[in-house]
Amino acid sequence: MDFPFVKEAISQLFSKSSCAMYPAVPSEAAPHYRGRIVYHPDRCIACGMCERVCAGGAISRTIEKTEEGDKVTMSFNLGSCTFCSHCADFCSRNAIELTGDYHMVATKEEDLIVTGSFIKKPPVKKAAPAPAAAQEKPAEAAPACAVAPREDGKPISDPSKCVYCTLCAKKCPAGAIEVDRANKTWKLDEEKCVGCGTCADACPKKCIIM
Amino acid sequence: MSTVLTALQYLGYILIFPGFLFCFLAGMLLCGIDRKVVAKMQKRVGPPVLQPFYDFFKLLGKETIVPAAASKVVFLGAPLVGFAALVVIQLFIPVFSFTVFTGVADVIVILYLLLIPAMAAILGGAASGSPYAGVGLSREMVTIISCELPLVLILLAVGKTVGSFLGTGITFSLTDIAAYQAANGSLITKASMIPAAIAMLLVIPGETGNHPFDAAEAETEICEGLLAEYSGAPLAVYKLTHAVKMLTLTSLFVALFLGGIGTGIMLVDGIILFLLCVVLTILTISLVHAVTARMKIEQIFKYYWTVVSGLALISLVLAWYGL
Amino acid sequence: MFKKLIAESAAKSPWLFHINAGSCNGCDIELVSVLTPRYDAERLGFKLTGTPRHADIVVVTGPVTKQSLPRVLRAISQVPEPRCIVTMGSCPQSGNVFKGSYSVAGPLSKYVHVDVDVAGCAPKPEAVIDGLALATKILKEKREQM
Repeated sequence: MDFPFVKEAISQLFSKSSCAMYPAVPSEAAPHYRGRIVYHPDRCIACGMCERVCAGGAISRTIEKTEEGDKVTMSFNLGSCTFCSHCADFCSRNAIELTGDYHMVATKEEDLIVTGSFIKKPPVKKAAPAPAAAQEKPAEAAPACAVAPREDGKPISDPSKCVYCTLCAKKCPAGAIEVDRANKTWKLDEEKCVGCGTCADACPKKCIIM
Repeated sequence: MSTVLTALQYLGYILIFPGFLFCFLAGMLLCGIDRKVVAKMQKRVGPPVLQPFYDFFKLLGKETIVPAAASKVVFLGAPLVGFAALVVIQLFIPVFSFTVFTGVADVIVILYLLLIPAMAAILGGAASGSPYAGVGLSREMVTIISCELPLVLILLAVGKTVGSFLGTGITFSLTDIAAYQAANGSLITKASMIPAAIAMLLVIPGETGNHPFDAAEAETEICEGLLAEYSGAPLAVYKLTHAVKMLTLTSLFVALFLGGIGTGIMLVDGIILFLLCVVLTILTISLVHAVTARMKIEQIFKYYWTVVSGLALISLVLAWYGL
Repeated sequence: MFKKLIAESAAKSPWLFHINAGSCNGCDIELVSVLTPRYDAERLGFKLTGTPRHADIVVVTGPVTKQSLPRVLRAISQVPEPRCIVTMGSCPQSGNVFKGSYSVAGPLSKYVHVDVDVAGCAPKPEAVIDGLALATKILKEKREQM
């Protein structure tokens, strides 16, 4: 019977340990570590994309009607989160951030929920002047586009390029786009649209202009 | 009057030194040093040296659960019997020139008493009615049988060496062995005793049930085996028994092979004994724990009955021819 | 004074029992890394036990599947008081990505009182140490109230 590690063991007896003395010596997470979620309600446009891509079902959105407008509350349950960073990757406004903070310890489940809310003002009704404004200065519009971008930051489709593939309608988190392939119509529900730009990104013909 | 004083003196021996209090403190400290040294050898920081004390007091404060299938008296009584037996052994083992109880055959008594903690663990485990304890007790029995043969051979070799000097054949008295060593120097200096001393060093981890001979209490495969159903105070006593067993066996080694270096002052002798026990614990228990993996039960049996018994047998044969 | 000694010791010697309730093994590996030389939880007195009877802290990983639920509850009920239940990772707290599966009976808090939640998927070993340290504080409080 031989003991191959005796020499090693005895030499370790007099050398320094290789332990990370964690509670005494604080430790930083590695770069790009995906830890506690930080939510910036000021950037959020309540498109609901994060909620749609979340695998763990950790994100929920509640909308409350108030006098000033809709009060949107997003809540992220860290106790249900896989920290996959899908929500942050899909967020078109970079309102979700996964930080390097890993101290997610709680005695109550409520302590693990990150929430934030903001008031979403109802869209100002100036649908009529908007196209008029576009018509006033057609020369300034990019020559490649048959239609001019809208002023309220909402998408508009160029019918000359559009092939009515319905991809934009499928991608829209708010369900604001309606495409009829048979009649070749592209319709935007302006009430629902939050102007996130997902449709423009998804368009294979690049015919949607924000 | 003098009988009262003698009674008080013996009470002091039993309760303080080398009885319960000494066993408790020294055993727990040995256990703590062992854990620290093993951790150091594995490049860890390790628990504080006082960790076994914390464990002990914590376990005293835990709820004691007696399984419905268990026989309550045996289940709760067995750990106490085992611990008491070890303290009695400690009273028989001479601290260099000082012994509480002397007898013509205290080696035989120690041999029997050493079985009692293991038997108590087996009884307690069997009484708990757990199948894991059932597996554990069969393994514990094999471990005892494995260790017992080399231990007997070692004791015979030492007894023959001392006995042939005294002209009484084989001696079974530890007092005689201690007196021989006080007069002629430690037995480890005799060439014929070196194989027996090595065998004894190898027997220590097996008798205490330490790594790699802890198949009976394998926590990863059979849920701590014999102790599977124990909780609270009885478990604390078992942990204490395990710690004191380390002290008992190392001090038995000191009595058998390293005797004759005492100063005659009881306190100093006690400290020297403890320091020697620490060195032996580090050498036999911690080092072996740090570098080996757990052995299978048949490997333990084979190892003790061939390698270790062989070493002890060499010593016995050499002693028989008076070398 | 003896009572205080025991309460102090309870905080210094917490023994762990680990139950895998259908976990993907990610959390299990992180828990092992807490106990092995890199983080060496033994320096804080933690020790992994093989049986629930010896344990003080029960660490549950996994979304508590229907198969494992009766075993988990049985193992937890065998842990002597004072005890502390720690859920590790997101699964036992909510079901995580397994939420809504036909075979998932969780979350664990539906069946037993959970003392500490350690979120993360899987939590970093440092976070686990944080959670266990919080659990030892709760253990000490529970012992003082006994």
